[in-house]
Amino acid sequence: MSMTTAQPSLDDVGLQSRFRRFFYAEEVPYGLAIVRILIPLALLCVMLPRWVYAREIFSSDGAVAPLWIAYGYAKMLPIPSGILAVALHSSLIFFLVTSALGWCTRISLVCSTVLYTYLNLLDSISTMTKYSVIASHVLLILSVSQCGAIWSVDSWLRRRQKNPPPGDPVRTRPTSAVWPRRLLQILIGCIYFGSALTKIHTQGFFSSDQMQTWVLTRANFHNPVGEYMVLFPALLVIFAYVAIVWEFLFLFLSWNGWGRVFMLVIGAGFHVMTTLILGLYIFPVVCLSIYFAFLNEGDVQRFADLLQRLKRKFGFDPSRRQSGFQWWPLFQVPQAVRMPSPALFTLSTLVVAVIGVELEHWNDPYDIRRPEGPHTLRELDLEFVEGTLLASSEPMRNRDKVARIDIGTFLIGGVLGNRRTEFKQGENVIVQCVMNAGHEDMWVECSLRDDRDRVISSFGRPVAREMLRSNYYYELSEALEPGTYFMVINGAGEEVLRRQITLRLRSKISQADSKSPVAN
Amino acid sequence: MYNRPPEFAKADLDQNTSILKIPFISVVSNRLLESGKVSRMKRWLTHSMIVVYLGALFSGVACHAVEFGTASHPIMYFFVWDMFCGWSAFSNRIQVVGEGESGAYYELSPGPWGELKPFGNLGRQHYDYMGYRSPRFALNCLKHTRHEPITRVFVIEETWDKKYNMPEDVWNRIYDEPKDLKKYYQVRHVVTPDGVILQTHPSWLSRQFAISLANNPRLQAESRRNKPFYAFGPNPRPRGTFASGNFVDPALRQRVGSQLGE
Repeated sequence: MSMTTAQPSLDDVGLQSRFRRFFYAEEVPYGLAIVRILIPLALLCVMLPRWVYAREIFSSDGAVAPLWIAYGYAKMLPIPSGILAVALHSSLIFFLVTSALGWCTRISLVCSTVLYTYLNLLDSISTMTKYSVIASHVLLILSVSQCGAIWSVDSWLRRRQKNPPPGDPVRTRPTSAVWPRRLLQILIGCIYFGSALTKIHTQGFFSSDQMQTWVLTRANFHNPVGEYMVLFPALLVIFAYVAIVWEFLFLFLSWNGWGRVFMLVIGAGFHVMTTLILGLYIFPVVCLSIYFAFLNEGDVQRFADLLQRLKRKFGFDPSRRQSGFQWWPLFQVPQAVRMPSPALFTLSTLVVAVIGVELEHWNDPYDIRRPEGPHTLRELDLEFVEGTLLASSEPMRNRDKVARIDIGTFLIGGVLGNRRTEFKQGENVIVQCVMNAGHEDMWVECSLRDDRDRVISSFGRPVAREMLRSNYYYELSEALEPGTYFMVINGAGEEVLRRQITLRLRSKISQADSKSPVAN
Repeated sequence: MYNRPPEFAKADLDQNTSILKIPFISVVSNRLLESGKVSRMKRWLTHSMIVVYLGALFSGVACHAVEFGTASHPIMYFFVWDMFCGWSAFSNRIQVVGEGESGAYYELSPGPWGELKPFGNLGRQHYDYMGYRSPRFALNCLKHTRHEPITRVFVIEETWDKKYNMPEDVWNRIYDEPKDLKKYYQVRHVVTPDGVILQTHPSWLSRQFAISLANNPRLQAESRRNKPFYAFGPNPRPRGTFASGNFVDPALRQRVGSQLGE
C-alpha cells in the first residue's frame, strides 16, 4: 500500500497492522483538499444554470419529478414550496462556493451534502444522474474529513489568529488520518467495478450495438466525434473490451506503483473519450476530480521538487518575489468590527438566501407579474394534432427494422472489420445486415444484382427477433464481369436497403500467383 | 490497538470546529478530552463510518451483480452503478398537448416562459422517456397561464429510427439512399386537467413487440386456451399486454376517443 508517513508505533507485521496503516496512517491531506476545491466548482456548473428554474423543478409550485415515486414510494420526503426551494437552492450555491474556498469547511460541506442530495432527489429526470450520486458520495466523505486543513480560508484564518513565528509547529502542515482518502479511492473503484457489471448485463455491449446507438442519441451535449465512430464499429468493439478489463482491474491495481499510473492514465483517457464520443461533460469532471484522491504526500513532494528545479533552471529567484497580498492591509477590518467566522458565515448564508428569494421574485420565472399578465397557451395546428399526434400509432416500416448493410471481407467480434465498396474478382465478401432491436422475426434475403438490376444470386435466412446481425457470404468469382453491382436486402417481401459495389478486374500478378486448378 | 495521543485528537477537533470556542462547550470538551472519552468516541465513530460505508458500497455492487433488489428502495440508486444500462435503436421525444373546450389544441410543455435544457439542446420534458412525469408539466403550465377550460391532456411519444440522426456526410458513407425519416406517434397517457389518469398505453416500441407476438397464431391459440383460476386470496390478476388472452390485435386501431365518449 502506498504509505507516506509511517507511524513509528505501528507494527509493520501482520494483516491487522497493515489494515490499520492502510486506513489510519497520518498525512497532510493534499489530495482531499484538491478534491474539495474541484468537486464544488464542478457542481456549481450544474446548479447555477438551474437556479433560474429552481421554482419549476424543485418546488410544489412547479413540476417536480421526485426519485422515490419511481420506486413506488408516494411520500418519502417533503416537497418544498416555491420560496423555500429558491432559498435552499441559493444557500446550496453559497455552500458550494464556501466549500471550494474552505470557509467553515465542515459546516459548508455538510450543508452542501444534505441540500445537494435533497434537491437532486426532487428532480430525477433532469438533475439527478449517476454523476450527481457520485458527487453526493464525495461530498459526504469530504464532510467527515480534514480536507479544509490546508489551502482554505479556515487554515489561513487559523494561522492569522495565532500569528506564529517562522519555524513554529503551527506553521507546519496539519496531518490527519488517511481513511477519507481511502474511502474515495475505494468508491471510484467500486463505481468502475459496478459499471463493468452493468456492461456485462447489457445486451449488445460487446458487439458495439449499444455504443453505436448511444452516440446517435443526441440526449447529451454535442458529440461530433461520436457520430463519426459509427463508421468504425470494430474499433468500438476493441474499446468495449479495453474498457471492461480496465474497469474490473481498477479497484485492485490502482493503489501504487505502475499499476496506479496505468489505471489513472487509462481512466483519464476513458473519461476524455466519454466527452468526445458521448458528449458527457460533468460526469468526466466529477470522476477526474476524484482521481486527486490518489495523490499522496510523496507525489506532492516530488511535484514541489520539480517545480523548484524548474524555477532554478529558468532563473527565478524566490528572494526577489514580492508578496501578492501587499494590498491586503488596506482592506483590513478594524478589530472592533470583526465578527467570529461562524457568526459571519451564518449571517452570510441568511443574506444569500434572502437575496436569492428576492432576485427570483424580480425575475418572475412564470412571467405572471408582467404588464400584459400571464402567458397564453400556444395553439397547435388542429390537422397536425388530430391527423398525426393523436392518430392511431402506425406499425414499424420494414426499412426501420434494418439499421444498415455493411459489406467487407473480415469480422472482428462479430462486427464487420472493414467497410468497403470496391472489390476484386475472386474475393470473398461478407454482407452484414445489421438489424434494429425491436424488429420481429423476419425472413431476410440478400441478393447480388448487376447494374441492370438482374438478380445474379440470392439467398435468405430467418432472423429471429433477438438477433441483431445476419451475415451473407459471397464469392465474387471471375465469372462476374468487372463493373457495378448491388447488394440488395429484402425484408418481409420488400426491398429495404441496397448498397452499390464496384467489382474490379483481378490483377495479372495475382492471377499468376494463384494456384492452378489442376493438380500437378 | 494504536491510540492517537490526546493532543492530536484536540488538534483534529480544533480544525474547522469553531464551536469549541463557545465557553460552556469548551469546558465540557476539555474535560472529555482529559478523560480520553472523546478520543475513544471519535475512534469508534471512525471505525463505524468506515465499516458502514464500505459495507453499503460492497452490498450495492453485490446486489447489482446478482440483480437482487436493485429497485427495492430509492437508496439503491445511490449504490447501484448501472450507468448506460439500456439502449434503444429509436430516438424518443415527448409532446404534451391540451385539448380545450372549443376543440382547439394547445402546447402544454415546454411552458411559454421557456424551459430548462439540462444536458445540451434538449428540453427537460424529453428526458421523461416513459412520460410518467409529463402530466405534471402540463398541470404546471395550466396553473401559470391564461387559457380556456381544458378538457383533456395528452402525453404523446414521438419516435424515429436513430440512424436518421447521423450527420449527412456520415450517412452518405453508409447509405446510397437519401434519408427517409419517418416519425411514429403513440399516445402514452390521457389525463384530466386536474391530474386524473384516464388512459395509459405502452410505449410505441413495446406495442410493436406486442404486435410481433400477436402475429404468432399458435401462441394466440394457446393463450386463449389458458383459463386463469383463483382458488383463494386477493392475488392481483395478471394484467397487461401479455396476460391471458390479452394479445394486441394489430388490426385494432388505438383510439383516444371523444371528450364525452370516454
